[in-house]
Amino acid sequence: MNMFRFPVRNTPRKLKKSFGVGSGPAERIKKLQMLVTALIRNERLEAKESYCLETRGYAEQLIQIAIRNGDRHAETMEKADYWLLEKDLVHKLFKVLVPRYQNYTTAFTDYHFLPKKVPGSGVQMGILELKGNPWPPVVPRQRNQKYLLTNVLISTAKEEYRMEKKISPDLKNGTHDKLNQLDNT
Amino acid sequence: MFVRSVHNCCRVCLKNSARSNAFSYFIKRLLNTKVARKLTNEEARHKRNEIFNEERARQLTFITRIEKIQVEHKGPPEDCTLIMNKGLSTPFNCAMHIGELLMNRSVLALVNGKPWDMHRPLVEDCELKFLHMKDENPILSNQAFWRSCSFILGYILETAFKNEHYVELCSFPVPNVTSGSFVYDADLKLPDWSPSAMELNCLSRVGQSLRYSDFKFERLDIDVSVALKMFEDNQFKSEQIPQIAVKSETGSTVTVYRMGDHIDISRGPLMGSTGMLSRFNVTAVHKIESPQYGPLSRVQGIAIPMSLSLHYWTYEFLMKRATKLNQAPIPTVFQAKSRSETVDNQGEEKAN
Repeated sequence: MNMFRFPVRNTPRKLKKSFGVGSGPAERIKKLQMLVTALIRNERLEAKESYCLETRGYAEQLIQIAIRNGDRHAETMEKADYWLLEKDLVHKLFKVLVPRYQNYTTAFTDYHFLPKKVPGSGVQMGILELKGNPWPPVVPRQRNQKYLLTNVLISTAKEEYRMEKKISPDLKNGTHDKLNQLDNT
Repeated sequence: MFVRSVHNCCRVCLKNSARSNAFSYFIKRLLNTKVARKLTNEEARHKRNEIFNEERARQLTFITRIEKIQVEHKGPPEDCTLIMNKGLSTPFNCAMHIGELLMNRSVLALVNGKPWDMHRPLVEDCELKFLHMKDENPILSNQAFWRSCSFILGYILETAFKNEHYVELCSFPVPNVTSGSFVYDADLKLPDWSPSAMELNCLSRVGQSLRYSDFKFERLDIDVSVALKMFEDNQFKSEQIPQIAVKSETGSTVTVYRMGDHIDISRGPLMGSTGMLSRFNVTAVHKIESPQYGPLSRVQGIAIPMSLSLHYWTYEFLMKRATKLNQAPIPTVFQAKSRSETVDNQGEEKAN
């Protein structure tokens, strides 16, 4: 439970102008607190990519330690109190989210890219959401195309090609045993 | 012209052959020798068609009064209820009422959960669904398509050669898409023939032209005696028919299909019509040895339906694979009982 379950960058992203020109580290944290609170409250939010991905780490860590330590752990409560600006969400964290994510082996959040607006500022926007939320899915259900006639033909042809490639090194060494086996079967 | 000079197998030269046949027949009569007239595929096909028409007309006379059945259609474009004619209306007729999309794309119908041919009359109140090649789980459609392609290979073998070659079709195995090719085993009676690329192309073109003919596959359940009469010119089929009949539900029926003027035995179901073919290639003719039937030719091919598209490079790659000998069981009387498509009427189907 110590590792994040999604790729994390070594260095923090710069969140310039998080509260207008002249924003510093304090404003950055204030902004992130607001985003983490909003995420726990609404279970889905739309923001710039860098904001989403920075928020993701803090939100995941908060849920992880809540699952690990429970609500009778002073440090965990202190952390929850720090990140959740609206205090009723502390109850939601321990009573709703901890049971929901207890048996997860994957990350608790999902990130989706949004298309860039053209013409526009060119900023990459994204959607950050908690898994298992009650909203309709961001990505529509994809049809399974594995069993289409062409795909069946291609996948089996690929497999056969790979098998032949596996056997070919033995041919170079002069041992034909594997090939003979294949012919017999 | 090149093809004719090598093997006399192209359809193009039928006219010349007819003339030479007539000439030799005339000479033989002049010499006053006893001539056993050689049976041709064309005559055999003509005979089968006559029997088929006769039998279908006879079966239609059983329907003296038109009764109505209620058909509940489930699925796009909308669920609806149709009142159709019992024993006359087919799923295709239902599709005509519902929408053109279903007419064009449906390969098979599911009637009360059972796969049903598009042109097979409905016999009772039922729930109807239509299947197509791009379904979420198109295994049934794939099998029907692959089986129909084997069926079409039979048509090609019977029609592409000159009349002097009497081709006897034997059987085709259970459709297996993963094997990469569909198969028809037949006795071509050309022991030394190995087809050139051009000749394979000629055979393929017969299949490709079917797309424009848009023949529908008609199903008919017939009695053993009629089936034996229909296929009396084919030693393999007449041997297989009693075994097929024993395995059928009533113990004495055989299911035959007609496409255009080609009739063959198949368990079915087959696809709606040949208009669904897009690419069709005969890729190889291998010699196989059957313990019961002797030397046979295993003709293989590959095809893609109209609704699916492939890059030409990929298709050529698949074609190369389809030239390898298909490992489907060799037709024998014993295996024909357990595995072969034309014989095993009621057996379980393998999944893809």
